[in-house]
Amino acid sequence: MKLTSAAILLAALFTQTILAQSTGRVFVTNERSNTVSVINGTTHQVEATIAIGERPRGIGISPDGSEVYVAISEENKIAVFDPKSLKKLRTFNAGDDPEAFAVHPNGNIYISNEDSAKGTVINPRTGVIVAEIPVGIEPEGVAISPDGTRVIITSESTNMLHVIAVPEHKIVANILVGARPRAATFTHDGKFSYATAEIGGEVIKVEMATGKIVQRISLGDDKAKPKDILLSKDGKHLYVAGGRLNQVMVLDSDSLALIKGIPVGKRVWGLAMSKDGERIYSSNGVSSDVSIINTVNNTVIATTKVGKFPWGIVIDD
Amino acid sequence: MLTKYRCYLLALLSSVVFSANGKTNHINEVKLSFIGDKDSQAFMGLKQGIDEANAQGLFLGQHYLLTKLTNSSTAIFTTVNAKHIAELSKAYPNNVIFNLTAEDNDLRSDCLPNVLHMTPSQAMKEDAENQWHKKYTNSLVKAQTWHYTFKKYAAGQLNSRFTRSTNYKMTDTAWAGWASVKLLSDSIARNEFTDTTSILKFLKSDLAFDGQKGMSLSFRETGQLRQPLLLIDNEKIAGEAPVRGVVNTTNLDSLGLTHCPK
Repeated sequence: MKLTSAAILLAALFTQTILAQSTGRVFVTNERSNTVSVINGTTHQVEATIAIGERPRGIGISPDGSEVYVAISEENKIAVFDPKSLKKLRTFNAGDDPEAFAVHPNGNIYISNEDSAKGTVINPRTGVIVAEIPVGIEPEGVAISPDGTRVIITSESTNMLHVIAVPEHKIVANILVGARPRAATFTHDGKFSYATAEIGGEVIKVEMATGKIVQRISLGDDKAKPKDILLSKDGKHLYVAGGRLNQVMVLDSDSLALIKGIPVGKRVWGLAMSKDGERIYSSNGVSSDVSIINTVNNTVIATTKVGKFPWGIVIDD
Repeated sequence: MLTKYRCYLLALLSSVVFSANGKTNHINEVKLSFIGDKDSQAFMGLKQGIDEANAQGLFLGQHYLLTKLTNSSTAIFTTVNAKHIAELSKAYPNNVIFNLTAEDNDLRSDCLPNVLHMTPSQAMKEDAENQWHKKYTNSLVKAQTWHYTFKKYAAGQLNSRFTRSTNYKMTDTAWAGWASVKLLSDSIARNEFTDTTSILKFLKSDLAFDGQKGMSLSFRETGQLRQPLLLIDNEKIAGEAPVRGVVNTTNLDSLGLTHCPK
């Protein structure tokens, strides 16, 4: 009896340690200010600014929420900070010119190295490189399937989605898409993926089992240079950062038909969604601000000034 | 000089066989030929383009090869002058010919059916400069295709790749050489062409090419590549044409001759 209670207590303590209480903060990398803006998730105000390193771009959070990772491209490193104390903890090498990355459910980081045409897998706890995968020229976007068995790296100049099997770290498919593919995301069941092609001005839907493009749509406006792409929690809508169109576009996830354009700041690139699916944050590079979108009615509820050229966003929720 | 090549007239591209998931059935070899100055920047750019086409080809089972002009050449890339380009066009009506250096306006209005002009015409450059001078009356600039300090739209990545492999700064004609192979290899990767006629038809009507200049590039009926130009003042990029505030920045047809004379 006594032993059981102790075990439960221990288990409870253990769970709490693993799943650190989230701060609700939103972290934004500012490419030209060399900082991370810390936005309070409730008040939408910037509550702190962290000097992080040169040319911060990609940003991600560990599965347990205890560490935030930032690619500092000019230093060829990833910087790690604590989302609670906001203290910089350490840096580790991340190959040439690290840009975008994604954090795998197992904690490893999958990163694209733009200048050396490869993807690198790093264990962020140890800084050890787990694998290097040669891909096309100018690799950019990284997406991980919900079950963690597939990783997509987009190569911008080679115009491909490279599908990588995990844990084998072998390319299992190379899918040609429109010009300059920048970002990708998976459906919740992992059966399909979506990608944006910036110069092609396209959004495509790919069936993962066959590697075939099953749907594609041209955004039809020369200013629409799509970048980040997210799928709504209910799986019905896609949110696409429209670049110089200065809109976050809402698309039907099935037909890819445009439902609505939400006006945001200038040259919108980065997108992040809260875990409950109710908020989307967009980083607007030229207007140096972040737009906060309520996904229930797809309207902007707040705009927060951040540093110069905000790039990536991650939410600790 | 042309009779020498006359016997290798027929140009056929073996069919490209690959499925959408990138599994290839066989390696397809694409033969490219160059006529002109092999010490030129244009040729250096061409070789850079071939290296990159082969990096993509690794995933698709395609291999690009620079060979003497033979009956299996897919395209001819050239730095010869306007007069010789006209002769080439006549002598090799079934080949796609890429003009990398000649800027003559007449060569555009001649509308040679199988010649694609990578380099902007003089008229395009003049229009770009005039647009700039309408907005900034006291600032003299020179219109160029490319510049080694160009960073936007991932131009910086291309500049550093080129300099890493050649030890030279990328010039206008180096860009033209690179871009010609890039747009050809992108198109071959996407389509199952069986002959050069269908390649030419695709390039002239359906191309949407990323030349790392921030816009989707295509060809006019004159064979001229529609493209934005850079305006250079004292070795520095002052701006881009079409010039914002003077014309719509997406209106690439505000530069140069747009249609063949009737």
